[in-house]
Amino acid sequence: MTAKADSFIVDGKLALPYQYFAGRTGSRFLIQLRDQKKIQGLRCQTCDKVFVPPRSTCVSCGAKIADHWVEVKNTGTITGHTVIRYEEPHQPVKPPYILALIKLDGADTPLAHIVKGIPLTKVRTGQRVQAVFAKKTTSSILDIDHFRPLEEKPKIELGYSYEALEVGMSASFTKTISETDVYLFAGISGDFNPMHLNEEFAKLTPFGTRIAHGALPQSLIAPVLGMKLPGLGTVIPEITVRFRKPTYFGDTITAIGEVAEKIDARKWVRMELRWLNQKGELVAEGSCLAIPPVPLG
Amino acid sequence: MNRVAICAVAQIKNEPDIWYQRFQGMVLECFESIVRQTGVTFDMEQGIRNVVTCSDDVFDARTISDNAVTDVVGAHFRGEEKVAQDGLNALGYAAAAILSGHDDLILVMGHCKESQSESRLMNTNLAFDPFYCRPLGLDFLTAAALQARAYMRKAKLTEHHLAQVVMHARANGARNPYARDNPPVTETDVLTSPLLADPIRQLHAYPVTDWAAGMLLCCEERVHEFTEKPVWLTGFGSCMDSYFLGDRDLTGNFALKRAARRAYSMADIADPSTAFDLVELNDAYAYQLPLWAEGTGLTPEGSGGAWIESGLDRVNRSGGMLNGNPIMLGGLARALECALQLRGEAGERQVDGARRALAHGTTGAAGQHHAVLILER
Repeated sequence: MTAKADSFIVDGKLALPYQYFAGRTGSRFLIQLRDQKKIQGLRCQTCDKVFVPPRSTCVSCGAKIADHWVEVKNTGTITGHTVIRYEEPHQPVKPPYILALIKLDGADTPLAHIVKGIPLTKVRTGQRVQAVFAKKTTSSILDIDHFRPLEEKPKIELGYSYEALEVGMSASFTKTISETDVYLFAGISGDFNPMHLNEEFAKLTPFGTRIAHGALPQSLIAPVLGMKLPGLGTVIPEITVRFRKPTYFGDTITAIGEVAEKIDARKWVRMELRWLNQKGELVAEGSCLAIPPVPLG
Repeated sequence: MNRVAICAVAQIKNEPDIWYQRFQGMVLECFESIVRQTGVTFDMEQGIRNVVTCSDDVFDARTISDNAVTDVVGAHFRGEEKVAQDGLNALGYAAAAILSGHDDLILVMGHCKESQSESRLMNTNLAFDPFYCRPLGLDFLTAAALQARAYMRKAKLTEHHLAQVVMHARANGARNPYARDNPPVTETDVLTSPLLADPIRQLHAYPVTDWAAGMLLCCEERVHEFTEKPVWLTGFGSCMDSYFLGDRDLTGNFALKRAARRAYSMADIADPSTAFDLVELNDAYAYQLPLWAEGTGLTPEGSGGAWIESGLDRVNRSGGMLNGNPIMLGGLARALECALQLRGEAGERQVDGARRALAHGTTGAAGQHHAVLILER
C-alpha cells in the first residue's frame, strides 16, 4: 500500500447541458402550468382514476388515455411527508424544509412537492394545502413554487333551518339581574328614570323599590332566538311583549322561546315567548316571527 | 431440468474509502481469487465465454462503466454484459443464461466506490425524471423518508425498534471480517443520532462504502470441475413497481411480494416463515429490514415491529447493507453471505447446518424494484 500523500486525486465533474423533450403529454401539462397556472391530469375512464403528473397510458390497465385531460384543483391533502434536514447541492431550497406527497383535489395519485408555511414539527397527514405558483416561470414543476396551508373559512354552525324546526321545540336563557346591569342599561338606553336608579325616589312609587327597565329582561330572549332556537343566522322581523310583573334587582329571569306555528307560505315560524322569575311567576309574555337561517352566501 | 450453482465467491473488505486502489484493482483482486479457487480458464471451448458485470455510470462518473473493467474480467473476444441495477439481478441474469442452455459457465463481477462521489445522494437525484421530481431535489433518502414514516405508523414501529436493527447490524458486522469497520453503537447513540430526513436518522442509513465482489456460476454437469461445495440457486424472482412514488402503496410491498412469490414457486416453498435457515435482506435503511421481512412473507403484513422483538438471530448475519455495502451491490452482498453460510465458511457468524437461505436485493427509490433469490446446498 502506498502512502496517502502519494495518491493523486483528479477532480472531475460530469456536466452535460442537455434538452429533455417532455413528450406530448408532459408538454401540455407543463405549458398549461406555465401559461394558465392550471394543473391538469389524465383520466382513465376504465379505472376511474386521474393521474397527476399525467401519463398517456393508464398505469393500472394499460389503456391509452392521452386525450382524457381533466383539470384538477390547486388544493389538496398531504398523504405523506418528511422534513429534509440534510443539505445537498441538488436541493431547490435550503434545508430544513418539508417535502410531502400531496393528493390534489380531483387527482388520485399524490404529487411530491415542497410545503412551506407550516412549522416543521406541525406538518401532518391530512393537512389541507394550496399551490402557490412561482412568480417567475422555469417551465418545470417548480412553476408551482410550493404548497402552503389552505386558509379555510372559519366553520360556522348555522342554527335550525325552517325544515328542521318543529312545533313544540323550545329553548331558554337564564340570568340574574343586578344593580350594575340596570345602571349599564340606563346608559345604553338613555333612560335614567329615577325609578330604576334612585332607591329613595322608588320607595314613593307603587313598586316600593327600584325595578329594572322592562326592556332589560325582555332582551334576554335575544340569545335564545339568535343563538339557540332557531339559532345562528335567524332574523326576527317582529316581536310583541306584554309585561306582567316587575323585575326587581337580584331577580333571576329565564327567557323561553317555543315554536308555535310553521308558516309554510313564507318559511317563517311564529314563536311564543315567556319570561319567568325565580319564583316561577310570569314576568312577561309575547310572541315573535322568526326567519330561520338559510345557508350563508 | 438444468440446475445452476455458485462455485466460488470472492470479495474484498467493505471500506469507507479505498483511496489506495482504483476500482479496476478492486475487481482484479476478486477475479484472481476466483481463478485461484476454481482453476477456471478463459479457454474458448472449456473456459469462461461470458461475463456479467454490475456497475453504474453515474457512480463511476463515466459512460459505459463496464468498459473500464472489460480487460480486468477477461471479457475480450467473448460476451460481456452489464447490469446497471442491484447486483442480485446480475446474478439472476447469469443464472438464466445458464438455465436456458445459452452457456454453462458465467463469471459475475460487481464494483462500486461510493467514496469517489462528492455526494451519493446527488447521484440518486439523477435517478428521477427531469420534469416532475428531479427539480424538487428528490433523492433516494427523501423517498426512503416518505416510506419510513408511512411504514412506521402502519407497523407500529418505534425508534427503539430501529435502534435494535442498527445495533444488530453493527454487532453482526463486527463478526464479519469483510464487513465495514464501524464503531459500536449503543441504543442512546441511535436514538440521539441527528435527523437527516424525518424519521430517518444518520445511524438509520447505510454508510458510504466502497466494495467489489465476484462469483462463478456453473451448470450442474460441470460443477464438479470447480468445487466440491456448490450452492444451488433454486429460485429467483423479480418485479418492478410503478416509478412515481404517488402511484405506489409505499408500505404494501407490491413488487417484493410478487418477486418472492415467483422465487418460492420455483423453489417449491410453501411457507417462507419457516423455510429458511438464514435470510439476508437488503436494508439500506433500518426501517427497511422489517418492511422487507413483511414483503418476503417472513412475518405477516404490518407485524414488522413484533418481528424485530421476536429476535433477529438468523437475519443479516453479514451485518446487512446497513453495516455498509455500496449501492448497486447490496443484493449481491446478501447472496454472497448466503453462499458462504451454505458452504460453512462464515466463521464466527456461521449458522450451524444451514441448508437453505434467502437473499434479497432492491434497486431504485424506496424499493421500486425487488429481486429474491433462493440458495440451497
